[in-house]
Amino acid sequence: MKKYFRELSVAGALGILLIVLAILAPSFYSPQPLLSLAARASVSLVVALGMALVIIAREIDISVGSMFAVCSVCAGLFAAMHWPLALVIVASILVGAVFGAFNGALVAGLGLPSIVVTLATMVTWQEGLRWLRQGEFVNLPDGMQWFGLSQRLGQWTLVIGSIALLILLALAMKHLSIGRFIYAVGSDAEVARLSGIPPKFTTFLIFVFMGALVGLAAIMNIVQSPQVDPQSGNGLELKVIAAVVVGGVSISGGRGNLWGVFAGLLLLACISPALTHLHIEAYWEKAIQGVIILLAVVAEGLRSRKALDHG
Amino acid sequence: MNAKQPTWKQNLFRHEAILLVVLIAEWIFFDAIGRNFGTYDNSCDILRHSCEIGLLALAMTPIILTGGIDLSVGSLLGLCAILFGKFWRDAHLPIPVAALCTLGVGALAGGLNAALITRLRLPPLIVTLGTFSLFRGLAEAITQGVDTFTNFPNSFLFLGQERWLGIPAQAPIFIGAVIFFWLLVHQTTYGRTFRALGFAPEGVRFAGIPVERRIAMTYVLAGIISAIAAIIYTARLGQAKADAGNGYELYAITAVVLGGTSIFGGTGSVHGTLLGVAAIAVLQSGIVHALQPSEMAGMLTGALLILALTSSVLPKMISGLRARKSALKLSKPIA
Amino acid sequence: MKRFLSYFCSLAVAASMIGCGKNSEAPAAGGNQTSNPAGKKLTVALLPKSKGNAYFISCQKGAQKAAGELGDELIFDGPTGTDPAKQNEIVENWITLGVDVIAAACENKEGISTALRKAQSKGIKVITYDADALPDARSFFVNQATPQGIGYTLMDQAAQLCSSNAEFAIITASLTAANQQEWQKFIEEDRAKNYPNMKLVAVKPCDDLKDKAQSETTALLSTYPNLKLVMAICSPGVPGAAEAVKQAGKTGQVKVIGLGLPNENKIYVHGGVTQAVVLWNTMDLGYLTVQAADALARGTLKPGDTSFKAGSQTYEIQGDNIMLGKPFVFTKDNIDQFDF
Repeated sequence: MKKYFRELSVAGALGILLIVLAILAPSFYSPQPLLSLAARASVSLVVALGMALVIIAREIDISVGSMFAVCSVCAGLFAAMHWPLALVIVASILVGAVFGAFNGALVAGLGLPSIVVTLATMVTWQEGLRWLRQGEFVNLPDGMQWFGLSQRLGQWTLVIGSIALLILLALAMKHLSIGRFIYAVGSDAEVARLSGIPPKFTTFLIFVFMGALVGLAAIMNIVQSPQVDPQSGNGLELKVIAAVVVGGVSISGGRGNLWGVFAGLLLLACISPALTHLHIEAYWEKAIQGVIILLAVVAEGLRSRKALDHG
Repeated sequence: MNAKQPTWKQNLFRHEAILLVVLIAEWIFFDAIGRNFGTYDNSCDILRHSCEIGLLALAMTPIILTGGIDLSVGSLLGLCAILFGKFWRDAHLPIPVAALCTLGVGALAGGLNAALITRLRLPPLIVTLGTFSLFRGLAEAITQGVDTFTNFPNSFLFLGQERWLGIPAQAPIFIGAVIFFWLLVHQTTYGRTFRALGFAPEGVRFAGIPVERRIAMTYVLAGIISAIAAIIYTARLGQAKADAGNGYELYAITAVVLGGTSIFGGTGSVHGTLLGVAAIAVLQSGIVHALQPSEMAGMLTGALLILALTSSVLPKMISGLRARKSALKLSKPIA
Repeated sequence: MKRFLSYFCSLAVAASMIGCGKNSEAPAAGGNQTSNPAGKKLTVALLPKSKGNAYFISCQKGAQKAAGELGDELIFDGPTGTDPAKQNEIVENWITLGVDVIAAACENKEGISTALRKAQSKGIKVITYDADALPDARSFFVNQATPQGIGYTLMDQAAQLCSSNAEFAIITASLTAANQQEWQKFIEEDRAKNYPNMKLVAVKPCDDLKDKAQSETTALLSTYPNLKLVMAICSPGVPGAAEAVKQAGKTGQVKVIGLGLPNENKIYVHGGVTQAVVLWNTMDLGYLTVQAADALARGTLKPGDTSFKAGSQTYEIQGDNIMLGKPFVFTKDNIDQFDF
């Protein structure tokens, strides 16, 4: 119980929010809008899972928003060229993986700090994409939306798919050795190396995986509407890092689990619709988001201080 | 006892020296291909446009030297700008008094960061990520997104727009800040601990230096500087809005890292930061004068950053490879 | 200390050598003169509100056509981020570059006027288009439709589509966007005057993101079960809101109208989700802007003129506003005739 205090407290905060909404704004719980909200959140969840791994490994990746936009536009263009759906999905994931590999090569290969590398790649891809597309939407062919399924089925596919990914990754982190490697590299890379774990290779893989997940998330996003906006992904890095941190993953690496990230993401994703349903003005959104992040971080600090005092 | 002073040849290959060469090369390049680029008027404009970013980058340098980071400076600039407008327009305070109050707000906000980071020992990246949202959110909430402050008196706008004795009016403030930070970081014993803190905070603590207070001071200083930058920004634009300074924190961090300061702390310099700011500002102005699209400035800045980082690790890599090669030679069995 | 001083001395010497060597050359084609003889090539600088915006790209197409016909050089550049000071910096760079005339779409009315006045004082002509600056900072404003015209057209269209006591919501760009704030003012004015029983229940920003507009509209649809119309006053918001209405299964029950580009909305208009898209011919706007800019710089367009001929059409001038015409309403019947 104590071990998972952080994750449980986030889940608790989410629970309180949901109860408040149930009492004050029961319209929040109408099934179709809730399903649409879940389908949108599933996109962010996939990216957040990747980011959690990156942060547990003591790195960070702030270029996910730009990668997302590039993958979305690429996938849209491939689809518009009438490639079969399966090929478009694979291509999107590959494009993401390539961008992730670029980040990984610089961080793991050259030993450059990940925050600056991903800052540089974020700016470069963002500006490059803007220059090439100039804001023009990409029109998707019919039959692309919802993978060609009905809307309901498509939305459920996205939601269940992302939760399946969550469960798979959570199990992998706990039971597979690669999961242990990631925690080890995040706690102390030198000790990991001495124990026979390859820190550089592990780090490189994490960035590639992050890129691949971004490519997957991009596909999940573009099937939700008939056009691709090259501005999509704006602010994604902030949303996802906040969710990961609020969910109990420590920014100094080596600690945290994916269920907490799930709770953190849901909490932050519910803020905007909650404000609408509670008739609170939209301009409070950023301030509330900031307060939640600070509260989460303070709670984390108090917890580790207590551990230090008692240990 | 005496550390050997580096020879002039060693100085030549230092990061700052290479950056200086890049800067001069940029200038010559854009002077050649750009229209009216290398003129006195344009030089003044480059200085004016980069003044606020320069101030933020200067304030960011001690923070990064100690191994911290502050993502909230851009949002704090926005918050201070609208509060300045509010003090002047709604509270009817005279401009100098409003400015002082704004500096106070900046110090308080920096103090919030400082308290969370040093008292509660929270990681600076996440604390300032939270205050990044919080400050911008407060700015939007106070103005309800729509309110803007304009019609400042001309005597105030002079600060941002006119020239005083031939140089832009905000230049003396900027130069003063440069001198202040350079003396602080490089000459005072107080400031010299910043780099030590980045290298080995425990060592500094054993030396009897109050680590928390030093680090807290860097964040409070950043808050005050953000407030000064907000006032200059408002004078330059003639308007204070909640989205002022959007994106400035990343620009400032880019400049600091470009200038050779390690993001992990421990090494770096104020003159490096200054060169980094200049390199980016010259690039941005040069691109417009060369009639190229603005997006190119962003892409080139990203590429420049990666090149700068790579070049700073190359010497280590090369010597590491050499060492490994000679170790292999030595490890060959003798006969 | 020595190293620092030596670096700085060399930098200062280098900069001053280059800087002093060239004082500002007179801007190309003589900015100090009040008119330029016809036939000389002018440099027209067109400033959009932001780059990467399909609306301004379509204006640029019309502008390029005009520049080609007139034999002028067209510079098109704008901010790539959201910082309000960026437009000023680009204008100031153009001043030192030495353009002949600047045509600006102003994101911040008062802020940009600072830079535009400076341009005027250096002899550069200034006109504005799409979004105006303060009147003393420019000679003319190419007005595609007055904010009042836009606000009233939107509100009138909304009223036509709903009953007199219906609830409606607005999706705007960002809370700080000046144009949208002005239009909202007139929407409210028209509503209060002519449709007092219609109720505006919420205003939500979408930050110019189609996906965010979609999520915001989804939330609005479930919060306000009596919502009858969504009005999106920023162009990415219209397809976003329409998609949300479609996914909620409320096509036809909740009407969607807005300010947007025809190409982005054709599927929804044909699908009956979006009833009306209000805009104007953006290519004509760009064309007229560059024609007017050129004429202003050459002296053929003067304050006090009552009409202006651009290409084959004559446009009315009201005071210092060159009127493009009335807002145009794209519907199922006519949207296919347009490609932008």
